Amino acid sequence: MASINSPHKPRRKRKPNDYTSGSAQGSSTVDTLDDGTKRPNFPLVAFLWPAKGSVSQWLLLPCILMTIGLFRWVTGIWRYSGFQSPPMHGDFEAQRHWLEIAIHLPVSQWYFYDLEWWGLDYPPLTAYHSWILGKIGNAINPSWFELYNSRGLDDHLLKVYMRATVLVSEYVTYIPAIVVFVRRYIQQQGVSSWEGSIALVAILMQPATLLIDHGHFQYNTVMLGFAATCMANFLRGNILMGCISFVCALGFKQMALFYAPAVFAYLLGSCISPKINPVRFMSIALTTTAAFAALFAPLLLGALYDTYRGVPNSKLSEPPLLSALPWDVDSKSWYYPVLLQLTQSIHRIFPFARGIFEDKVANLWCTIHTFHKLHLYSSTVVQRAALAATSAAILPPCLILFHKPRKELLPYGFATVAWAFFLCSYQVHEKNVLLPLLPMTLLLAGHGGLTPSIRAWVGFANILGTWTLFPLLKRDQLRVPYFVLTLFWAYLLGLPPTSLSAYRNVQRGGLGLFAKFVHLSVYLAMILWHICEAFVPPPENKPDLWIVANVLVGAGGFGICYLWCLYMMVLKSGYLGVEMKSKVL
Amino acid sequence: MELYPSLTQCAILATSLKILLFPAYKSTDFEVHRNWLAITHSLPAKDWYYEKTSEWTLDYPPFFAYFEWLLSQAAKYVDSQMLQVQNLGYDSWQTIYFQRATVIFSELILLYALHRYIQVSGSKKTAHAAALAILLSPGLLIIDHIHFQYNGCMYGLLILSITFAQEKKLLLSGLLYAALLCMKHIYLYIAPAYFVYLLRAYCLSPHVVYHIQFFNCVKLGVGILIILTAAFGPFVYLGQIPQLWSRLFPFSRGLCHAYWAPNVWAMYSFTDRVFIYVAKYLRLPINQDAVNSVTRGLVGDTSFAVLPEITPSQTHILTLLTQIPALIKLFNNPIPMTFLGAITLSAYSGFLFSWHVHEKAILTVIIPFLLLCLNDRRHLGAFRPLAVAGHVSLFPLLFTVQEFPIKTVYTVLWLIVFLVSFDKLAPASTRARFFLLDRFSLVYIAVAIPLILYCSLIHGLVFRDKYEFIPLMFTSSYSALGVVSSWIGYQVVYFSE
Repeated sequence: MASINSPHKPRRKRKPNDYTSGSAQGSSTVDTLDDGTKRPNFPLVAFLWPAKGSVSQWLLLPCILMTIGLFRWVTGIWRYSGFQSPPMHGDFEAQRHWLEIAIHLPVSQWYFYDLEWWGLDYPPLTAYHSWILGKIGNAINPSWFELYNSRGLDDHLLKVYMRATVLVSEYVTYIPAIVVFVRRYIQQQGVSSWEGSIALVAILMQPATLLIDHGHFQYNTVMLGFAATCMANFLRGNILMGCISFVCALGFKQMALFYAPAVFAYLLGSCISPKINPVRFMSIALTTTAAFAALFAPLLLGALYDTYRGVPNSKLSEPPLLSALPWDVDSKSWYYPVLLQLTQSIHRIFPFARGIFEDKVANLWCTIHTFHKLHLYSSTVVQRAALAATSAAILPPCLILFHKPRKELLPYGFATVAWAFFLCSYQVHEKNVLLPLLPMTLLLAGHGGLTPSIRAWVGFANILGTWTLFPLLKRDQLRVPYFVLTLFWAYLLGLPPTSLSAYRNVQRGGLGLFAKFVHLSVYLAMILWHICEAFVPPPENKPDLWIVANVLVGAGGFGICYLWCLYMMVLKSGYLGVEMKSKVL
Repeated sequence: MELYPSLTQCAILATSLKILLFPAYKSTDFEVHRNWLAITHSLPAKDWYYEKTSEWTLDYPPFFAYFEWLLSQAAKYVDSQMLQVQNLGYDSWQTIYFQRATVIFSELILLYALHRYIQVSGSKKTAHAAALAILLSPGLLIIDHIHFQYNGCMYGLLILSITFAQEKKLLLSGLLYAALLCMKHIYLYIAPAYFVYLLRAYCLSPHVVYHIQFFNCVKLGVGILIILTAAFGPFVYLGQIPQLWSRLFPFSRGLCHAYWAPNVWAMYSFTDRVFIYVAKYLRLPINQDAVNSVTRGLVGDTSFAVLPEITPSQTHILTLLTQIPALIKLFNNPIPMTFLGAITLSAYSGFLFSWHVHEKAILTVIIPFLLLCLNDRRHLGAFRPLAVAGHVSLFPLLFTVQEFPIKTVYTVLWLIVFLVSFDKLAPASTRARFFLLDRFSLVYIAVAIPLILYCSLIHGLVFRDKYEFIPLMFTSSYSALGVVSSWIGYQVVYFSE
């Protein structure tokens, strides 16, 4: 570089086609009419139209973050799960309760205290997070988190505080992670920064995430944020940081396990190809182990310290996992508290004692159960069947990632594996649909991500996913935010039921006929379902008819999403000979 | 050529946000309007202006009462309980959804007016930007969709009337304004501008002053008479005009409305407050009653400790006097642009000098000015302090914690988006700009950030609930400074055109 001694960096010149990626014939976002005028392809493009080309990212990004923040906060002024519904209330009370126990109880009691009332059943990072939030909340108003007496509290300011904690946690983890991921992904895929901003808004306005975290009340975005950080680090080739982020995701919510096979296959693959690299393998193994150790350290050290202080742990019931150990553990030995905490937390985090699915969830088992009751089999048989089905479903994407650990396959791999888990695994909640939706939605930032075909598929998965959450949201009295946020997101991306623009084949990169038929019939089913659910009472002997119908349509649609992700993965990995970049299903 | 994002697209965006705001904080104005629904629905017209079961009596002109009656016809299918006069404070979710939805629906008038305004404008690009700024105005969002009022629809009528004036449909413009005045009398502030403009451009010849266009005068006179009869006729017939008048113009209320409106009187009060401490040294006489009233500024009646008292008639004279120069220029140069400028300046005078001004009245200045400010960079320079001050002065309307992020983030977002795009769109002026005003507005805008932080956060942490009037006083004095300086700045622009 000529100006190496000069303190001034030469300004990066903007390439002429920097803001309209894609070929000269037309891009995925801008339509050129016959008379040469340009027109945005869907409303979200129109909203970012003034920012095309000339506006600095330093101005655009804060505006985007403020807008999506407003929608989040405004969703939060609606009700939350379990509002004024004794005796057990809901997820809001669960989270509030964990703040309460984290600040008032010694560490060794966290996983043992009154398990009947929303006992802690998330990994330690959630507990530490609760502790910090509890300390801050306690400084503002101690009565919100008073031990025992604060149960079921629904003070308005407490709600505002709790909503704020979700928002702040999200802005610390999820949002920077998505921003960084999108920036790296568009660089890697050769997408312009303007189109990257369009994708960013679409990703951050995902209705399901907004409704569950800011409406229903949970902290899923923290875990999803760590998972996105992991992917962003992998994209940059920063494998070890990626591992640590993934351990954090797992340490916040065990549901991040949905991604684990993809992470494992990618890492293992990257140790073998292009050449076998034992150093990398060892460093991955060591980093991951160290990260797990660091994750559990405060809990275990806290337990040891409590024993040293003389906090009795004799009253704590022995977890089944500990009794199942092949040797006899002496309850007087120094390591007993450590083992006790470890086994109890694992026992709490992985509740195999519960049924195969909770409530009605749109996956394989609930679908089979509708036609053939699964109670007939012992839980061991069902568990084995779930294990076998999940393994079969995750095997193809994992093999591809293992054989071709390529960065552009990462979001596809994460999405396919997460769909496999959602559809086939054990103990799935309807809210877990957020896990496959995140990597699938990230595809919008990829090459051709805003073309009608990928937009239609991502939109289909998101709208179907949000629709399967409707029975839950209805219970929380969140129908209005559900309709507004879902329809608004569909409108932004030009998707049914607000527009059919993605389904008109005026340009290349459109959907195939079969996909169009499937999508539109599912959209039609969703609309009809809403009409029936609202106006037609279910027959008396089948009170759950509408919910079951929802589950069946949802499971079918998700199955198709799984197949599409897998197909795209195969296509992108180049197994079918020519790498067909533009022709997609 | 189509411009993006289009008006409809922004309306859909705004409507989504507004529906999500349904459960937000609502002020007593919500109950006020529910009570009016009940009064107009369940009582005969002769009792409308006498009914006082609720303390929130009907104090808008008759067209607004008719509007409420119209809404009540739909309300009875939603929840008839809200139409009972006795049901004070009734707010079932049906009532909330219904009333909030009527605000959104009535804004369709604003949408149409803005659409038409863009159609007739010479410069589509700047008109489009101004229209979007009005449609997404934080003032309307805060006042209508959180605090609860129906300003959007009425500003829609005002913009429609202004658009008619630009289309040279002066009769229609004047009659629409008269109808608007019979809906909400706050628009009296700008009546002088309408009077002068219609007189000169419609009743007299625009070219020869002494040439009276007699037929036009008859048309306008008869039209206004019909509208006034439709509005006030029934009440004249019932002999209720004095009662109606006392409801519409409650001069028994104080000079300042709860300290908040950032006008000259807020600065006057602030000065008075400062003088209490200075007076000891200057040996000025102090009115002890005024000093001892701790809630000063929070209740309606403000009395002054050191400075002389102000009477309603003094404020009227001052308002008119400050309007006259702008009106003279309008009389001599009756073109639509000057008319819009005169409307803005009349609204400024009304806001700055009138008796018992509400902080919400700042919209009567901001909205006409938004239509003007893209004329050239000098207009924009005068507009900037107003944009910040006017909206910051609305913040105290929403004092709840939950709404704090909404009002601040939305306003800051609007200011960034529109001030930056206005900066790009406003053409350079043919005349020199004022260096001083530009620098002033930069400093002024920068001061807003620590001020908001202090008022909303630091004051509460340091003093808890004590000295509640201090943040209010700071906000209104700061805003008053901005409004007054933008007023002076705009006068220079207006008279030098």
